[in-house]
Order: sequence, then structure tokens, then C-alpha cells
Amino acid sequence: MAYPSMGEAHRRVTDYLGRFSDAVSTQDVASLKPLLSLSSASPSLLSLADALNLLQDAIRLIKQSEKWSQLAEIVAPLFRCLQSYRLSNLADAYPAYEKAANAFIQEFRNWDSAWALEALYVIAYEIRVLAERADRELSANGKLPEKLKAAGSFLMKVFGVLAGKGPKRVGALYMTCQLFKIYFKLGTVHLCRSVIRSIETARIFDFEEFPQRDKVTYMYYTGRLEVYNENFTAAEQKLSYALAHCNPHSEANIRMILKYLIPVKLSIGILPKDWLLEKYNLVEYRNIVLALKRGDLRLLRSALEEHEDRFLRSGVYLVLEKLELQVYQRLLKKIYIIQKQKDPSKAHQMKLEVIIKALKWLEIDMDLDEVECIVAILIHKNLVKGYFAHKSKVVVLSKQDPFPKLTGRPVNA
Amino acid sequence: MATETKPATEEAKMDLFEDDDEFEEFEINEEWEDKEEGKEVTQQWEDDWDDDDVNDDFSLQLRRELENNAEKN
Repeated sequence: MAYPSMGEAHRRVTDYLGRFSDAVSTQDVASLKPLLSLSSASPSLLSLADALNLLQDAIRLIKQSEKWSQLAEIVAPLFRCLQSYRLSNLADAYPAYEKAANAFIQEFRNWDSAWALEALYVIAYEIRVLAERADRELSANGKLPEKLKAAGSFLMKVFGVLAGKGPKRVGALYMTCQLFKIYFKLGTVHLCRSVIRSIETARIFDFEEFPQRDKVTYMYYTGRLEVYNENFTAAEQKLSYALAHCNPHSEANIRMILKYLIPVKLSIGILPKDWLLEKYNLVEYRNIVLALKRGDLRLLRSALEEHEDRFLRSGVYLVLEKLELQVYQRLLKKIYIIQKQKDPSKAHQMKLEVIIKALKWLEIDMDLDEVECIVAILIHKNLVKGYFAHKSKVVVLSKQDPFPKLTGRPVNA
Repeated sequence: MATETKPATEEAKMDLFEDDDEFEEFEINEEWEDKEEGKEVTQQWEDDWDDDDVNDDFSLQLRRELENNAEKN
């Protein structure tokens, strides 16, 4: 760390103060943003931090000077933050930044127009990212990581500031998305509920007014929540929206959307083309798709086992496991068609023994009772139309449409 | 998000602080057009795969299996 001379240090500090003050008085958000963007680690911020660490009394100077006193509440903690940040003390940098941000919000509330909204976005992002880094540092030092949780509380407060009638309200969705990222990271996704309720039911908000990029992010996260809650129709709707409106060049984001959308589509009987799996590197779904097409229960189970960790981590394992019923349906349908080709008059009567044999060929051992149970479930869920003739251990299939397609609806719960 | 290598003792704790699928930030003023190219992604789904075709390898093997067993009975 090369420290500047005292004179140079002074110059850097007054330079920053001047730029900050001018940006605010001329409502120039483009100039203001880089002054708040800690994570950018810009050379000018880093060299400012060096200057502050050298001077040590810069803060006293600001507060004493009439010229900068207006901004002191914001800039003084920001300077302390920079100093800590530069010395890699993130656990102290975070609370200082939060204090500066808080002071900024107070000013923001007083400005009638939404000129500083983009600066607020920068602050929200920095709050989250700084808190994450601070928690990593705390954790590594054996201390309790509580900064990200604090960041969540702070951003809820900012959300509240934006949830009003004026032009500032279009910023609320960006805040919501930052909150989603925090809650998902902390595993406290139940906290998403209250912001979602505000966004979707408060009369001041019109979803269509929000910026496209925030709508896409919002639909991605709420789509994921619908997957966890097994509301597949809603999940499909939201994730499809995100997919359709996502920047086509954001391949990483498209991949993430598909990672959750594919299991949902599978559960309503729609398959992704292999081109999609290949292009976005989602080949873990390849054998599952194949298993559904074939009616190959063995392949489904082996595919689930092969990628178990991955599916568990993303929370889609149970969704995929439930595809078993659809695979059974497909298998029975194939047996039916094969039998029909051999002897059309008898095809609608399927012996349970034949099913047992097919399963045995797939290395799945099931006895009569178990097979009867599965078929009963399939009938109950309307995947098979028919009834049992118990004595003869036969399923009598409906002559019309014995294996109804899902046609975009989920299997009955 | 890629997982970084960390000492084993911290691994378990760190798992709590990860979301593998955190959406990447779009630029503040990022705008894009829903171009035709983008639409392609939304057209990569099949809903007519559940056909009556049993000429694939799997179905042919299944048929052989069922016929063999029928003969054995």
C-alpha cells in the first residue's frame, strides 16, 4: 500500500467531497453512483481510502467545515467504511456503510423527484454484497455471521421508503429482488412472503411499470418458490415469463431458469428438446427425458441416483421422483399397444402378471400386491382409465383413451 | 456459483451461505429486445411425444420379453 504525501491525501479527500457535493446539488446520478460503489474497487476509491488511513482526522475536518457539514452524516461513516475496507476489516466496514446508507435514505426521502434512484440501487447492491463478505469473514474467524440478516432488515426499510405513490415506487421491485437474493442465501425464504404480498396486492404498484430486468428476476425467484410449494401451474407460468423475457445473451441466467422450469414442464407432460439440454449444459435431465419417452422405470431411477446430490441441492429431487407415475403410465401404454398389435380383441384386459414380467425385465422386483397398488394409484390419479377384475387379477382398461394425456396439467395431487 | 476450496471444518458452515442458483445482476440500465433469437428458447418443448410408436429399441426388446414369457407359460 503506497501512502501518498499529506498534501496529496488532503487533495484526494477534498476532491471526493467536491464531487459528491456537486453531484447532489446538480442531481447528477451518473456522477454520484461511482462514489458509492465500494465493490467496484475503483482506483480512485482505493487511493482515497489510502489517503484517509494516512490522514486519520479527515472526518473531524469534514464535520468542522461548514462547506461539507450538510453531507457529513453520509460521508463521515462512508469514509470510516472505506478505511476499514482498505484494511480488509469487512466486519467493521459493513456497519459503517449501513450508517452512511441510512443517512442517504433520509436525504433521499426529502428529494421530491426520483433522480437518485439509481444511486439507491447501487447502495442496495453494495449493502448486500458487503454484508455477504463480512459474514464470510466473521464465519472464518469463528464468530457469528449476522450482517446479511441485518442487510435484509435494512433493505426492508428501504422498500418501505419506496412503497409510496410517487415516481420512486418503480424502484421497489429492484429492492425486492435484492431481498430475495438475501433470503435465499440465508435459507429464510418464508420472509419473501411479505414483500411478494406488497408487490402483488398493493394498489400503488402496477407490475407492468417496473423495469423489464427486475420483472425477469422477480419471476425467476417467485417461480422457484412455486416449485418448492409444488404449485406447478403457477411455477410454469412464472418461470416461462422469466425465460421469454430474459436477455437472450444472459446464458447463465437462462440456464438457471431452465434448471427449474424443466422439472416443472416434465411434471405436466411436456419434454425439453435435446438441443436445449445440450446448449445450456443441463444434461443431467437427458436420461430422465428418455425414461419418460420410453416408459423405462429403471432408467428413471438410475438417473435420479446418478444426480441425486445435484437434484437435492436445487430442491427438485421430489418433483422428479414423482415422475415415476408418468413413467409407469407410459410403460403400461406400451404393453397395451404391443398386446393390441398381437390380439386386438384381448388388449383391453391387461394381466397384472404381464406387468410384473415387464418390471422384472427392468430389474424391478414387485409382487402382485405391489403392482396392484401402483395400478390403483394410476387409476385414482386418472393416468389410467379402467378397473380391477380382482379374481382374475386383471386390469380392465377403458376402450376409449385408457391412458389420458396430461395436456399441460399436473398429475392430480 | 462455483464453490471455492475451503478448510474442511468451514465447509459445512459455508453450505448455509450458498445459493447455487443466484441470478446474475443485470446492468442497471440494461435493456434488451425480445428478439426472435430469444424466442427460440421458448420453442424448444415437445408435447406430442406420447405417441403410439413401438418401433424403438426399448419397445422392441419389451415386446420380445413379453413374447418369450408368454411362450414359457
